[in-house]
Amino acid sequence: MSAEITIKQGMDLPMEGAPGSQVRDVRPQGPISVYPSEYKKLKFKVLVAEGDKVKRGGAIARRKDLTDFLVRSPVAGTVKAIILGDRRSLKEIVIEPDGTDEQESFPSFAADQLVKAGRQDILDVVISSGLLACIHERPFDNMANPAHTPKSIFVNGMATAPFRPDAAVLLQGKEAEFQAGLNALTTLSDGPVHLNVSSDLKGSSTALTQAQNVQVNYFAGPHPSGNTSTHIHYLDPILPGDVVWTLRVSDVIRIGSLLTTGVFPNTQRILVTGEGVKSEARGYADVLTGTALSDIFQGVLEDGDQRVVRGDLLAGETVNPAEDGVYLYDQGFIAIPEDRERILLGWYAPTKDQFSAHKVVPSAWLKDKLFSFGTSTRGSKRAMVLTGIYDPYVALDILVDPLSRACIAGETEDAVAMGILESVPEDFALCTFICPSKTDFGTIIADALAAIEQEGI
Amino acid sequence: MSNLTEIKETIEKKHDELRPQFEKGGKFEKMYPLFEAQDTFMLTPPDTTKGLTHVRDAVDLKRVMFTVVVALLPCLMWGIFNAGHMYYHDSGMDDVGMFMKIIRGMMIVMPIIITSYAVGGFWEVLFAIVRKHEINEGFLVTGMLFPLTLPPTIPLWQVAVGISFGVVVGKEVFGGTGFNILNPALTARAYLFFAHAPYMTGNVWSKFKMDADTVVDGYTGATPLGMGAAWGNEAKDVVAELANQGHTFWTMFRGLEPGSIGETAAIPILLGAAILIVSGVGSWRIMAGGVAGLIGTAILMNLLPSGESLSAAGEPVIRTTWSQIPFTYHLVMGSFLFGIVFMATDPVSAASTNTGKWIYGVLIGVVTVLVRVTNPGFPEGVMLAILFMNVMAPIIDYYVVQGHIKKRNAHLRKFSYAKG
Repeated sequence: MSAEITIKQGMDLPMEGAPGSQVRDVRPQGPISVYPSEYKKLKFKVLVAEGDKVKRGGAIARRKDLTDFLVRSPVAGTVKAIILGDRRSLKEIVIEPDGTDEQESFPSFAADQLVKAGRQDILDVVISSGLLACIHERPFDNMANPAHTPKSIFVNGMATAPFRPDAAVLLQGKEAEFQAGLNALTTLSDGPVHLNVSSDLKGSSTALTQAQNVQVNYFAGPHPSGNTSTHIHYLDPILPGDVVWTLRVSDVIRIGSLLTTGVFPNTQRILVTGEGVKSEARGYADVLTGTALSDIFQGVLEDGDQRVVRGDLLAGETVNPAEDGVYLYDQGFIAIPEDRERILLGWYAPTKDQFSAHKVVPSAWLKDKLFSFGTSTRGSKRAMVLTGIYDPYVALDILVDPLSRACIAGETEDAVAMGILESVPEDFALCTFICPSKTDFGTIIADALAAIEQEGI
Repeated sequence: MSNLTEIKETIEKKHDELRPQFEKGGKFEKMYPLFEAQDTFMLTPPDTTKGLTHVRDAVDLKRVMFTVVVALLPCLMWGIFNAGHMYYHDSGMDDVGMFMKIIRGMMIVMPIIITSYAVGGFWEVLFAIVRKHEINEGFLVTGMLFPLTLPPTIPLWQVAVGISFGVVVGKEVFGGTGFNILNPALTARAYLFFAHAPYMTGNVWSKFKMDADTVVDGYTGATPLGMGAAWGNEAKDVVAELANQGHTFWTMFRGLEPGSIGETAAIPILLGAAILIVSGVGSWRIMAGGVAGLIGTAILMNLLPSGESLSAAGEPVIRTTWSQIPFTYHLVMGSFLFGIVFMATDPVSAASTNTGKWIYGVLIGVVTVLVRVTNPGFPEGVMLAILFMNVMAPIIDYYVVQGHIKKRNAHLRKFSYAKG
């Protein structure tokens, strides 16, 4: 049974800086880093000391609350430094590769046997390899809790936010691993595994559209038709007490690769693009997990002040390309110009170079034009005045005005009744984008979700 | 082009020089909101995005608010011409020509607008400084809306008192723009209406006249509503009777008649409505709901039994009463159009949900007709209807949200099989 759903809400941003589909190889020039700090809210205990030798796939840290979860080294080498962050939390472990490929081996399965494998057997491998981090859990979008059995599993094979990697490019040459990963997922839930892909792919990308043992669903329409929350909302919405697990195509490939080869998968394909990246370099890169961003961005950024964002432009975090590295969960980095340009009487100037969804701005009347998007707020922060303008940008059955007010007022019970648990902050990114008062809905929703999680539902 | 760049750079440099004096620890720290307002008026702010979303739309609240002011300009221009026209008309000097009428109209209207902006602006800035919030561009709208609801003969001290009440009690005591319950401009209007009725009602145009004998209803400035209230449910052929007094649908539509500055003519208001709707700034749901509510209630009122009176020959004849006035008259009489287009659509005091906006609009139309037809105390009901629904808006929203939650839960229950 396959569903076909067309989303009417939302908007695609006509943004310059789209990538090509070429893939380059990036070799790390120096040491690589593992970042337990990428798993927010979790605490880790380090298992190695500086100078220790580790294998590829060797354990270097463990979760304090789930001791079976081990953080693994992507390469064989020597531990060079252990860096602590705030409140002595484990931030980063630096490993100098020694050029050998000594490997820790994990239990492996034949790809077609995975559907019949025991749930616990597969979970054990996924947990101890640290790849449980590739499986997220809703509500709250945390790392999956293996004590929960999800009512269904959602694999996101879409990319509507600017810029998320195209599933078809991620899958090139990885079709077998992907199918193996899907097979493994079917054992983890009593319900179906939903693979959600864009309607545009019908008849092509057979790895996605002809995937076995899962339910392939098609979504059409503008962003956020590619958001996982949208898929869940239409296919199997989250009721109080429900848990669903969510993955992306890259996560499934990685799990499939581990389970079929027994080797810790240490490369990942990431998207490097945006207007701040030189046009010839906009594309995909195969990198080693933990590669320094400086290796990826060397000679690639345009001149001038560029902001590099981990994730996508609607829901990503700013990183420092000189210091940070590639996280296990990463699938893209986008650079756009830092825009502090002040425009004379810009609040009413008939601008046609800056995109707007509002018909008060002349540029909103231009069709089929790509715009340059800098990081400017394009206006000053003000009290919320306009109402009812946000709902057309959210694909969930949620009234944005009352929900955001309930969140601001700390009325968490009301917020839950209004449907906040179906959402994650990225679902409100377009509201943040279009708000004339420059309200940050993502932060409002994130704070409320954090409060709800802490209080318990 | 290079000239503009030069100007821009000069301003930017000057502002950057001055900025430290207005920031924390500076000499004029307290005046920061004033500096911010001036700074972001001249140049877009240099701020960059924080948080998860890294790009923003080019729209700014200033542009949104100023669009409302632009939408009000046709009404203002008509109001200026009409004031000049009435001045000469009532003085028996109809043939002075367009130019003189406009000049006279400006002499009458501009002081009112300037007083409103100056006094209201003073309070806005004072509260911004004391309460340390930014100066909100919403005042640009309030400062223009309020004078357009006043008769042109209003004394300036009344304008000053009214706008002070509107800004301070109508808005700032609640925490400023975005937090007010009532529409500030209409609050100011209501305050003058109840506290200083003689200036707002009765013979408001007499100052212009050589012979002051016609009583004009002040709130609407439109005599028909005044007559209607006076007639009550007396049986007369209301439409014919109005026509006898010189009021047909088309005279009221055209609006070359006494009344408050901005509301007499339909065409400039419809022009403003078009600007608000096309630009997406004003809620078409509220406007459409209001018109639908007004028409529906007017038709219901038409169904009330007609009255009976004696003909010249002493025979009893059936004649229409005020409740049978057709809905087309309700649309153009008084200030309904102005109210529903510019006042009811204030997003802060209206219902915030889109379903709620429909209900809110419809009820404004309903209450307007009820007050006009059934209430002997007030000839016109638009102001009271909007203020009443401002107060009711949170309740409407509450029930809309509860209804939405119910609908959501019903939808979600369909999926609960998956829980086993």
